[in-house]
Amino acid sequence: MSSEHTHGHAQDSHAAHDDHHDHKPTGFLNRWLFTTNHKDIGTLYLVFALLMFFTGGAMAMVIRAELFMPGLQLVEPDFFNQMTTMHALIMVFGAVMPAWVGFANWMIPMMIGAPDMALPRMNNWSFWILPFAFAMLLSTLLMDSGGPAAGWTLYPPLSLQGGQSFAFVVFAVHMMGISSIMGSINVIATILNMRAPGMTLLKMPLFVWTWLITAFLLIAVMPVLAGAVTMLLTDHFFGTSFFNAAGGGDPVMFQHIFWFFGHPEVYIMILPAFGVVSEIIPTFARKPLFGYTAMVYATASIAFLSFIVWAHHMFTVGMPLTGELYFMYATMLIAVPTGVKVFNWVSTMWQGSMTFETPMLFAIGFVVLFTIGGLSGLMLAITAADLQYHDTYFVVAHFHYVLVPGSVFALMAGAYYWLPKWTGHMYSEKWGKIHFWVSAISVNILFFPQHYLGLAGMPRRIPDYSTQFADFNMISSIGGFIFGASQLIFVGVIVHCVYKSRQAASGRVWEGAKGLEWTLPSPPPYHSFNTPPVIDSTTVAHAGESH
Amino acid sequence: MVNTDRDEFAARRNRAVKTAWMLAVVAALIFIAFVLSGILNS
Repeated sequence: MSSEHTHGHAQDSHAAHDDHHDHKPTGFLNRWLFTTNHKDIGTLYLVFALLMFFTGGAMAMVIRAELFMPGLQLVEPDFFNQMTTMHALIMVFGAVMPAWVGFANWMIPMMIGAPDMALPRMNNWSFWILPFAFAMLLSTLLMDSGGPAAGWTLYPPLSLQGGQSFAFVVFAVHMMGISSIMGSINVIATILNMRAPGMTLLKMPLFVWTWLITAFLLIAVMPVLAGAVTMLLTDHFFGTSFFNAAGGGDPVMFQHIFWFFGHPEVYIMILPAFGVVSEIIPTFARKPLFGYTAMVYATASIAFLSFIVWAHHMFTVGMPLTGELYFMYATMLIAVPTGVKVFNWVSTMWQGSMTFETPMLFAIGFVVLFTIGGLSGLMLAITAADLQYHDTYFVVAHFHYVLVPGSVFALMAGAYYWLPKWTGHMYSEKWGKIHFWVSAISVNILFFPQHYLGLAGMPRRIPDYSTQFADFNMISSIGGFIFGASQLIFVGVIVHCVYKSRQAASGRVWEGAKGLEWTLPSPPPYHSFNTPPVIDSTTVAHAGESH
Repeated sequence: MVNTDRDEFAARRNRAVKTAWMLAVVAALIFIAFVLSGILNS
């Protein structure tokens, strides 16, 4: 421990020297519009993602308000369809994905001992494409033909029946794709070329590993989505018939192409969450991560399997029996590496000296609630059962368990974990815990009844429903309103931490934290690790000597 | 502390740019392949 402190002091004094030559750009535009600094760009991504989280959240509130009671209450059915479609597009492409890229920008260079991302100017461009893409997407709501209303999957022929605004949607998707691909190229180029000497691949923190694998997934599948929507665009506006049955096209082919992108996309949103949770649990259990190497291989296995299971989203289109069996068993196979991960997180906690600060609460909430989403995923993998569940609220409940108490809880966990490092101040632990408990209870009130609604036969994407579904919908909506409101606590905690908190954070912040980012002071200097750090077991969790 | 000289840093940057171009070409090829397969099948 004493050598750790000595080393920490050496790093601190070195970092203080860096801080002295901080070279922060002056002026608002120079600092934020033209920035090439990974920390600034990370902040921009995170702020943008938070804005989109509340924009998509507001749409979710419209959906839950309309579904509060049977009958049409507040909005026209077509606008309801626009809300479900836009909510999904914004949450997937505007909130969760950019938030993870924000974490990657902030943390990857600091975790591998690099001074910045490998391609800083492209990094700036990757971010600044996004506000324009989403301005364009949101502007469709103000057009005569309205926003996209065919669901985020954009299935033809329905999506082709929209108006002129569809071109804006397609172009917005292209821009989001270009942004994601450039961000991923930067992540891979950084991890493969910018690691400090001695930081071998199997010494990297798990968050870096999960992002490396996620970036490869993104590069492989975003062009597929771009190809699919380009063909939709030409079908809509230029008279082609890729997916138009009347002209000899095949609408089911679109579903195959979409889900070849769409299933890995699910893992793009969840693999970095696995990484964050794998950083947090060892810190607060005060034990090294159980089975680090197994975690790396499990992540890679999940990524590989994600490419060969896509048709489980479309069992009802009528596939050959052998196809159905193949996709069913391949999907079930994903439970094996996922089970390895859950087992390893639990084993890390086993007999650890655990404390339950806010990041740990969100991480444990993630493990428990994401596993519920995983189990309902296994139910949906069974072809015969899926024919019953398909397009019902059971599916809605399933993927929201994976994405909200899954991805979003991991984002919250990561934000609380690194907020003191980013800002140099401690956040309010009391309000953090209140945020966790209100969120964790309300998210279950919101989504758990939707399992029952689905099993009872309520279809998804409808603004009105039979009275037999009234009670569970009302409960779900109340949970939704509480969950939505409780996220304002999160904003309050962040604003307080950044502007008001008087409690300075130390360099290491958490007693049990290990990793290069904790050798820097809080907040870290504008340019960190201009001189590569020393990699040994006192600073890096997986340096080898401790195992 | 290990000192990295300018040459090594420049070499790393060059490798990073090469990696980026390779990945960009792969992404472009995937896009072209999917659209082309759509055109050839229609």
